[in-house]
Amino acid sequence: MPEIIIDDKKFTYDTPGKVLPFILDHGMDLPFFCYHPSLSIPANCRQCLVEIGTPVFDRATNSFKTDENGEKVIQFFPKLMTACSQDMSDGMVVKTHVSSEKVRRAQKDTLEFILVNHPLDCPICDQAGECPLQIQTYKYGPEGSRFEYKKVHKPKRIQLGPRVVLDAERCINCTRCVRFTHEISKTYQLSIVSRGDKNYPSTANGKEFDDAYSLNTVDICPVGALTQADFRFKARVWEMNQTPSIDITNGKGTNVDLWVRDNLVLRLTPRHNPHVNDYWMPDSSREAYRLFNENRISRPEIKLDKELVKTSWNNAKETIAEIIEAHDTKEVLVLGSGYASVEENFVFNQFFTALGCGKASFVPHVVEGAGDGFLLTDDQAPNTKGCELLGFRAHTNRTFKNALAKATVVVVLAEDIVGRELANAEDLAGKTFVYFGTNNNTTSKDAQLVVPITCAAEHAASYVNVDGRIQRTFAAKETVYTSRATNLEMSTGRLDRFGTKFDNWRTDKNKVDCLPVWEFLSELAPRLNQTLSYETGKEVLTAVSSSVDAFAGVDYDKMDTEMGVVLSTPETEEKTA
Amino acid sequence: MQINKIMSYTFDKEDLKQIDAIKAKYPTVQSATMPVLWYAQDKFGHVNAEVQHLVATTLDIPESHVHGVATFYTQYYKKEMGKYVLDVCTCFSCQVCGGYDMLHYIEDKLGIKAGETTPDGKFSIQEAECLGACGYAPMLQVTNDVYVNHLTKEKIDSMIDGLKEDKLPEYEEILPPQLISKD
Repeated sequence: MPEIIIDDKKFTYDTPGKVLPFILDHGMDLPFFCYHPSLSIPANCRQCLVEIGTPVFDRATNSFKTDENGEKVIQFFPKLMTACSQDMSDGMVVKTHVSSEKVRRAQKDTLEFILVNHPLDCPICDQAGECPLQIQTYKYGPEGSRFEYKKVHKPKRIQLGPRVVLDAERCINCTRCVRFTHEISKTYQLSIVSRGDKNYPSTANGKEFDDAYSLNTVDICPVGALTQADFRFKARVWEMNQTPSIDITNGKGTNVDLWVRDNLVLRLTPRHNPHVNDYWMPDSSREAYRLFNENRISRPEIKLDKELVKTSWNNAKETIAEIIEAHDTKEVLVLGSGYASVEENFVFNQFFTALGCGKASFVPHVVEGAGDGFLLTDDQAPNTKGCELLGFRAHTNRTFKNALAKATVVVVLAEDIVGRELANAEDLAGKTFVYFGTNNNTTSKDAQLVVPITCAAEHAASYVNVDGRIQRTFAAKETVYTSRATNLEMSTGRLDRFGTKFDNWRTDKNKVDCLPVWEFLSELAPRLNQTLSYETGKEVLTAVSSSVDAFAGVDYDKMDTEMGVVLSTPETEEKTA
Repeated sequence: MQINKIMSYTFDKEDLKQIDAIKAKYPTVQSATMPVLWYAQDKFGHVNAEVQHLVATTLDIPESHVHGVATFYTQYYKKEMGKYVLDVCTCFSCQVCGGYDMLHYIEDKLGIKAGETTPDGKFSIQEAECLGACGYAPMLQVTNDVYVNHLTKEKIDSMIDGLKEDKLPEYEEILPPQLISKD
C-alpha cells in the first residue's frame, strides 16, 4: 500500500487524494481558508503551504536513490506547496508547521498579509467565535501587525440579496461563495469584482442575490464578510447551544443543526450528511426557526362561547374522554399527518384504534413543481413516507372531504387542514373537532379543543424522507416540563451551564407549555380504560420497529451511528436490486 | 458622446456577425468575453451595466462573469467617459519623476478632478497605475491608445490643444539609452 510521511510519521493510504484532506482526516491540523471538500480547489489563500518532497528515482538503476544509511534520498520542491492542491504520491514526505520552521514562518507571513486590510472589528462581528481567520490568527498568526497605514475601505453592509449581507472589507477573497454559486447551486450569481486590494465578491451590477441556496455562502464564508440578514446581531455563537436535527419544511430530510439560546431557535445551519444533503441546505428550510419559536400553542385551549380560552391539562383529558364516550367510535375521523413524526403518528393511531376508531389516514401535501431535484422536494411534509409505511391510508383532497362529511368527531394531528384548504369552517361546523397542534393557525381557531404538542425542536422523534431514509431529531428547546439539567440528551451551551435565573442576560420565559403526543395520550389512556405507556420517542420507536415490518431493526442508536437508516420499502428495494 | 446618449444598447446584424467570428476563435464562449467587451466598448464608448448585460445575453454567459471581467480591467470604462481619456500614471517611477505634478496640472487646466469628465464631454482624467513605461516617466496614455512620454507642461498644453481639434498625438519612438548617440 502506498505510504506518505507526514512530520516524520508514516501513514498508508489506499485511495488517492490531496494532501490537505488526508492530514485533516487523520486528526492533524493544518490551517486553510479557501479549500472546501465539496468545491473545486483554487489554492488561492496560500494558508496551507507545506514543504513537500519526493524520493529520487534513478532511471539508470531503475530504483530509488539511497544515501549511505540506506535511506531513500528525498528531494524537496524548491518552494512551499499548497497541501490542498497537491496529490499524494507513494513515498512523499510532507513537513507541516509541526516540523518545519519554514512552514511556520510562511503561515505567519500569509496571515500578516491577509490581515493587512482586514478590519479589526471582531468585537462587533457576527462571525467571531466561529471564524477560521480569527482562530488561525490565534494559533498561527503573527502577534502584531507591522502595517501602520490606512486600510483599504470597501463597501460595507451591502444587502446582496434578501437574505445575505456583504461586508466587503472583511472579505479575504477565498472565492468559496463564488464557487458555490458556480458549482453547487449553479446560478452563477456571484463573481469577484474589481481587482488587487479592492476586490470583493458581488452580483452583477446590483442584481439581487436571490439564489434559493444563497445562505450556504454565509456558512462557508471563512470570515464575517457574508452574514445572514435574519441572524445578524442576534447572538454570539458561544452563547448558543447546538443540537443536531432534521429539516421539517420539506420531504428531503436535510440534516441540520439548531442553534438555541434562551430556548429560542435562533438559526439553522446544515449538518454534513453525504447521503442526503452533503454540506448544504435550502434557504427556505432555515425559516423553520419561526415555526419553532413564533405563534406557538401553549397550554390546552377549549372553546367557550365561540372563543378559545386556556384550560388545564386535566380538563383537556377529561374533555377528550367525554367526547369519545359520548360518540360512536365508528364516527370518529382520525387524521394523522406527514408533518408529524413516525412516533407521534404511530401512538396517535394506536391509541384511537384501540378505542375502536378506524385506522388513521392522512392527506399527503405535494405541490407539483416545488422541487428542484436537489434539496427541495415537491413533497412539503417531512414524513409523508413515514405515514405510508405505517400503513395510513393516503387521502386525496376529495376522498378526505367525503370522509370528513361522514364523521361526527374529527381528531387531527398537526395537519393544518383549514390552512391547506382541505376543509373550511362550514365543513367542520356541527362536528366535534379536536386539534393536536404546535402552532396557532386557522385550523386551531376552528377547533373545540386544542392540545398543544411538542414540535421537532422539542422532542426526539424520527422522520422518513422521500428516499425512505429514517432520521431523527433531538430535543433542542426545553418545554415547561423538560430540563436540560436532567435530560442528558439535550445539549447545553455556556449560558445554560453557567447562567442563573438571576442573570439579566438570560431568561426562562420562552418555554412552551406543551407535551409530546405519546406522553399526553399515555396520561389519557387510564381514564378510557386503556393501557398505553410511553415516556420517550425512543420507546415508541422500539414499539414501531417490533410491530411494523418496514421499520424492523431500526432504533435510535442505529440512526445516530449510520446518519439515518434506509428503510426497506418497495422503492428502495428496487433501487438496490 | 452625443450619439451614445440617444443610442439604445443593441448589437445589429453586422455586430453579431463580428461577434460570431470572435467566438469561433476560442474553444469556449467564456473566452470571448474580453474581445467582445472590447468590441462593445469600441461601439458604445464604454461598457456600463447595460452594455455588460447586453454582452452577457449575446454570449449567453453569466452576467456576473462579464461584470467581474469588466471591473477587473481599468481599460474597460464602466461609465460614460469623455471622447479622450487621459490615463495619467502616478505609480512609483512616474510619481518620483513628477507624475502628480503633471496630473494636477492637467486637472487645473481642464478644471476637473481625476475620475471626472469635462462638461463638454471631450476629456476625462484617470489616475492610472503603472503602464509599463517607467523609462519615459512621467507619462500618460490617451484613450487606451497613444502614450505621451516625458511629460512637461508644454507638452501637455500642445497635446490638449491638438486633441481639442481631434488630433491625436504622434507615436513617439524612444530608443533605449545605449542606442542614443551622445553627441
